[in-house]
Amino acid sequence: MEPTFYISILLFIATYALIISEKIHRTVVALAGAILMISLGIITQEQAIEGVDFNTLGLLIGMMIVVGIAKDCGMFQYVAIWASKMGKGKPIFIYILLGLIVAIFSAFLDNVTTVLLMVPVTFVVANNLKIDPKPFLIGTILLSNTGGTATLIGDPPNILIGSAANISFNEFLINLAPISLLVSLVTLGLLVLIYRKKLVATPEDQRTVSNFNPREAISDVPLLKKSLFVLSIILLGFFTHSVTHLEGATIALGGAALMLLLTMHDPEHHLKNVEWTTIFFFIGLFILVVGLEHVGVIKLLAIKLLELTQGNMTATTMVILWGSGIFSALIDNIPFVATMIPLVKELGTLAGLPLGPLWWALALGADIGGNATLVGASANVVVSGIATREGHKISFTEYLKIAIPITFVGLIFCSLYLFVRYLI
Amino acid sequence: MMIKNTVYRVKDWMQTDVITISPSATFTQAVATMVTGHTNGLVVAEKGIVHGILSSMDLIRHLVPDYLEEDKHLAAFESGDQFVTRISEIKNDSVKKFMTRDVHTIKSSHTLMEAAILLSEFNIRQIPVVDDAHKLVGYINRTDIKKAIADILELDA
Repeated sequence: MEPTFYISILLFIATYALIISEKIHRTVVALAGAILMISLGIITQEQAIEGVDFNTLGLLIGMMIVVGIAKDCGMFQYVAIWASKMGKGKPIFIYILLGLIVAIFSAFLDNVTTVLLMVPVTFVVANNLKIDPKPFLIGTILLSNTGGTATLIGDPPNILIGSAANISFNEFLINLAPISLLVSLVTLGLLVLIYRKKLVATPEDQRTVSNFNPREAISDVPLLKKSLFVLSIILLGFFTHSVTHLEGATIALGGAALMLLLTMHDPEHHLKNVEWTTIFFFIGLFILVVGLEHVGVIKLLAIKLLELTQGNMTATTMVILWGSGIFSALIDNIPFVATMIPLVKELGTLAGLPLGPLWWALALGADIGGNATLVGASANVVVSGIATREGHKISFTEYLKIAIPITFVGLIFCSLYLFVRYLI
Repeated sequence: MMIKNTVYRVKDWMQTDVITISPSATFTQAVATMVTGHTNGLVVAEKGIVHGILSSMDLIRHLVPDYLEEDKHLAAFESGDQFVTRISEIKNDSVKKFMTRDVHTIKSSHTLMEAAILLSEFNIRQIPVVDDAHKLVGYINRTDIKKAIADILELDA
C-alpha cells in the first residue's frame, strides 16, 4: 500500500472525529479536510471538483430559496392551524393530525425547515389546550424524519442517493413512500399510546382551539398564490422527469428563478438566506470521499463487507439497513451516506448485486436511524435547542427512552418491507 | 434668523441625573424602576461602569417567547393567558439576560454632531456619557438633541 492510502484514511477519520466532537463547526472541519486531501497530493484539484455533486447542491440551493420566500406568506402555518381546528379541540386528534402534517411537510420540505415551521405551532396549540408541549416536540422530531424518507427531496441523504445513483423522483416515491407512510403511522400510534394520559384538555380550552380562524395566519395573499404556483411547477417538474429528463438542480433552481421573477424581490436578501454552511459542508464531504475512493479505501471496505455477507443479497441488504440505522443514530447521517454511496456502487461492480434494494436500505437506515438519539439528525438538534430555550428541556436519556424503541420498531418494519418487496 | 457659529458639546446638553439599575436586578425591579422614574430607558450599570441599556422594548421582547418572535403568522392564535403566564415565568430573570449589550458610549467633551451620528446610525434612543475612566457621568437622548436643535433655530422652548 502506498503512503497516500494511510494518509487519506487518517485524514478521513480525524475529520469524522472532529465533526462528531462538535468542538469546531462541521463545515470548517470538512472544508479543511478536503483542502488537505488536495494539498497533500492525494487527489488533484480537478479530481476534487469532479467529485462535487453539483446536482445535489443546485437542488438544495434552489429549494432553500423557494421555501425561504414561500414561508413568508403563512401558508404552512395556515395548514397547521387548520389541522388543529379540524381536530375539534380533542388533544389526541390534534396530536395525530399535527403529526401527519409534519410527516407530509417534511416529505416535500427540508426536515429542519419543517420543524422550524411546526414547533411554534405546536407550542401555541399546547398552550391553548394547557398541555405539556413535550409530547408534541418529540413527535415533531420523529415524524419529520419518518416523513422525510418518502421522497427524493424529503431528506438530504435521499437527495445524495438520488443524484449519485440517478434515481428519479417518481422511483423514490413508488419505492419509499409506502414504507415511509407505514412507519409514520406506526410511530404515531406508539406515541399516542405512550402519551395518551397527557393528551387531555378541558371543554373550554378545546373550544378555543376549535374556534381558530386559520385565515388569520395568511399574511400575504398574492405571495401565497405565487408560492403555490411555483411549488406546483417544481412538483410537476419532478413528476415528469421521465419525459423531460430535467435533473433536480435544473428544476429547483428553475423554480427559484421563477419565484424571484414573480415576486420581484431583491435577490440579495434571499440568496444570503441560503444555508451556505450546509452547502459548503457538502462540498467538503464530497471531496473527502473522493480522496478515500481514489486511493482504494472504499473498494477495500466493499470487499470486506462482501466477505462478511458472502455476497448474499438478503444479508447485504440487511447489513446496510441496520448498519446505516446504527451509524446514523450516532453520527450525522449526511457524511455517513456520502461515504456509503461509492461503497454501494462498488458492491454492484464487485459482486454484480442488483443495486435498487441496497439504495433503499441505505436511505431507510439513514433517515429512520437518525431518529434514535437527539443528535441523530439535524432536525433533532434544532428542536431540542428550541425546547431548552423555552424551558422544556428534553434530556438525552429521556429522549432515548421513547425514541430507541420506536426507531427499533420502525427498522423492523423496514426490514420486513425490503424483504417482502425486493428479496423473496 | 442668525445661525450661531459655535460647537455644541455633549456636556452642555446631557442629563446628569441618570436612573440606573444593576445587571443583577430582576425583571420586576426593572419594571418598578421604570414606572416610578417615569422613563422608558434605564442605564444598566454597576459601580459606575456601564454594562448595557434597558428599554421598555427590551422588556417586551423578553416577554414574547422566541418561537413567536420568529413567526408573526401565529400571533392571532397564541393563548390569551400566556401574557400572565409568561410574566410570572420571567419576573425573577436578571436584567443582564435581556438588556441590550454592546452599548455605544460618548464622552462629555465630544460634540453633539457625534452624538447625533451615533443615535441615527444605530437607531438608538439614548447614549450613556462616560468620563476618561469609563465611569458613567450622564446620558444624552433624542429629546436633548431636539432641544439643542431648537436652541440653534432660536425657537422658544
